[in-house]
Amino acid sequence: MCKILRFVKREYLAAVKTKGFIIMLLLMPVLMGGSGIAMYLLQGQVDTTDKRVVIIDRSGIVSNMVLKAAEERNSAAVFDKENGKKIQPAYVFEAIEAEEADPQAQRLALSNRVREGNLHAFLEVGPNVLHPTGEQSVFGIKYYGKNAAIDNIRNWLNNTINPYLRKIRLQEAGVEGAKADEIMTWHQVQAMGLVSMDEETGEIKEARKTGEAEAILVPVVLFFLMFMLVMMGAMPLLQSTMEEKTQRIAEVLLGSLQPHQFMAGKVIGGLLVSLTGASVYVVGGIFFMNRFGLTDFIPFHMIPWFFTFLILEIVMVGSILAALGSACNDPKDAQNLTFPAMFPVFFPMFIFMPVLQEPTSAFATWLSMFPLFTPMLMLIRKAAPVGIPAWQPWVGLIEVVLFTAFVVWVGGRVFRVGILMQGGPPKLSNILKWAFRG
Amino acid sequence: MNVVEIENVTKTFGSVTAVDDLSLNVPKGCIYGFIGPNGSGKTTTLRMIMNIFYPDSGIIRTFGEEMKGTSTDRIGYLPEERGMYKKMKVRDLLLFYGELKSGRKVNKEVDYWLDRLELTDWGNKKIETLSKGMGQKVQFISTIASKPELIILDEPFTGLDPVNVEVIKNAVLELRSEGSTVIFSTHDMNVAEKMCDFIFMIFKGKKVLDGTLVSIQDKYGSDTLRVRTKGGRSTLDSLEGVDKITDFGQLQELRIHPGSDHQKILSSIMARTQIYSFELAKPTLYDIFLRIAGPEAKEEADV
Repeated sequence: MCKILRFVKREYLAAVKTKGFIIMLLLMPVLMGGSGIAMYLLQGQVDTTDKRVVIIDRSGIVSNMVLKAAEERNSAAVFDKENGKKIQPAYVFEAIEAEEADPQAQRLALSNRVREGNLHAFLEVGPNVLHPTGEQSVFGIKYYGKNAAIDNIRNWLNNTINPYLRKIRLQEAGVEGAKADEIMTWHQVQAMGLVSMDEETGEIKEARKTGEAEAILVPVVLFFLMFMLVMMGAMPLLQSTMEEKTQRIAEVLLGSLQPHQFMAGKVIGGLLVSLTGASVYVVGGIFFMNRFGLTDFIPFHMIPWFFTFLILEIVMVGSILAALGSACNDPKDAQNLTFPAMFPVFFPMFIFMPVLQEPTSAFATWLSMFPLFTPMLMLIRKAAPVGIPAWQPWVGLIEVVLFTAFVVWVGGRVFRVGILMQGGPPKLSNILKWAFRG
Repeated sequence: MNVVEIENVTKTFGSVTAVDDLSLNVPKGCIYGFIGPNGSGKTTTLRMIMNIFYPDSGIIRTFGEEMKGTSTDRIGYLPEERGMYKKMKVRDLLLFYGELKSGRKVNKEVDYWLDRLELTDWGNKKIETLSKGMGQKVQFISTIASKPELIILDEPFTGLDPVNVEVIKNAVLELRSEGSTVIFSTHDMNVAEKMCDFIFMIFKGKKVLDGTLVSIQDKYGSDTLRVRTKGGRSTLDSLEGVDKITDFGQLQELRIHPGSDHQKILSSIMARTQIYSFELAKPTLYDIFLRIAGPEAKEEADV
């Protein structure tokens, strides 16, 4: 045991006593949160060029209203009221007559104008738009543009034309004025937290309003933190084992250590590196949130689960990586194996959004019960605002403990043979042979 | 008492038999030299003694105990290819390797050997800054710093200049005089002849020589005539009773056919040219090595 600890100490210090580790510790959150930060910073970067849109209104009732609504919108939203700076593009609509003789030629001509940049888009309103009967082409509204699907003007038109048409339909039905407004009222369902009782005073506390960002922030932060820490502690094991093998350090170490002690030392060293990073981020995070009065948002109940799953994930993935590293004979081998070796970490990254949105779905439940993905997916499900059955994290935990023990055993056997095997790239058949036949 | 006992050990890698039914005893306190051509099984044997490779069959005992599953704390091992962490400092690396092996602090020993091998000034330098020879000396210190009872050195003199060969040789002799047993493999027959109490030769996985230098040479008898003549090599062709002539330039070595009379051969040479000196000798280890593993042996095997 003493030998393992000495080796662990070297592995740990070799990793954390470098400038690279400190830089990585600081940069990791920036890199991981980079896209979010970029989105936030670029939020204000709007193209303020006026958008010219042509309307072909076959119904005869939409174009005037759109022109009027656009004028109102332009006067209210285009310029900053305080400094007069243009902050939004003006929507400039132009109504033209429909060419009934050859509508396709008209559409082509307008499309070419859009292509040439003289026009932003054009809108075609069907004749039966008020009373939708007949074929879709007769009552539908079509918006043609280069990027029509994600164009803000299309959304604005949706929210402008539909209430207007509904109001007309209500008028025709004899409902007018305040009654019509009441009918048109739309209720946004507000997201609230749960009501709780203050244990000291017995007072029932008001539920807090919760936003989407807040609901997904905790699980996403924990999930990405685990990903970062696996990259920090386990990922380097593939490369470092390969280097120790190719630089013949392994043979020297095997003169003093048993192969399983060697592998255990590497994995525990990597685990300690990750836990160091985790402690810095968790303690730093708590300090930061306390400082800004955000203590209520700290998910204290998740911290034990986070550390438990993190330890298991690092041991499981670290053993796989060390074993595969022992089978490599040059950096190219290691490069080729990186993606398959990191599959237990990358796969949850691909599917975390659907799991977070529907944590109780069969898809999320079964995948989170698959031991390779349990630590990351069960963590995000457990942290999600929607409660999952209490037994599931425990069953997942037992599964992953057993599976990790199995992986360590298999990894140890592969490591024992692979670390001294020279020549030839690692083959799956050889790795399986070493694992089960020694 | 034997420090290492190898009994009928065989080790194969796929279809290649690296070591074939090998038996060998290494007595305590001796220097045992392993010789043999490249790929003959020396390193595999050493790795099996170190418990890095497990034999397919047979038994290996060190210090009277079977090795399987136990540690090798009493054995220092210098592998053929040096393995050191390039980014570590010399002294830190030596302390790490020494403590990993012995489980105790080895500061005193490390300082002693750094001084003894004139590396004290390099203690705080990174491994990557060392020359090849210095690196080899550092690796040698890492092998012996824990004061092991058995020291296994795989090609310890390769790549060293003559001065450093002497330094390491003297260190090995010092360790032996302090009671350590030393096994080393080498391609340098001169070193093996001069240093080793026992010599073991392995060829194609099989033991072909084992014993003291004298006992090995006795097997071949005094069948070598070394002569220095005025006429040199060209005057020695087609001598009756001579199997082979090895030309060293100033000196020629004649291997006498078994049963031939060396006096007659000398007379024949005298009749051809003037003899400056002659010596009837036993074959050198170098010559024995070539007889077993050289082209001559291959030709004989082909016949």
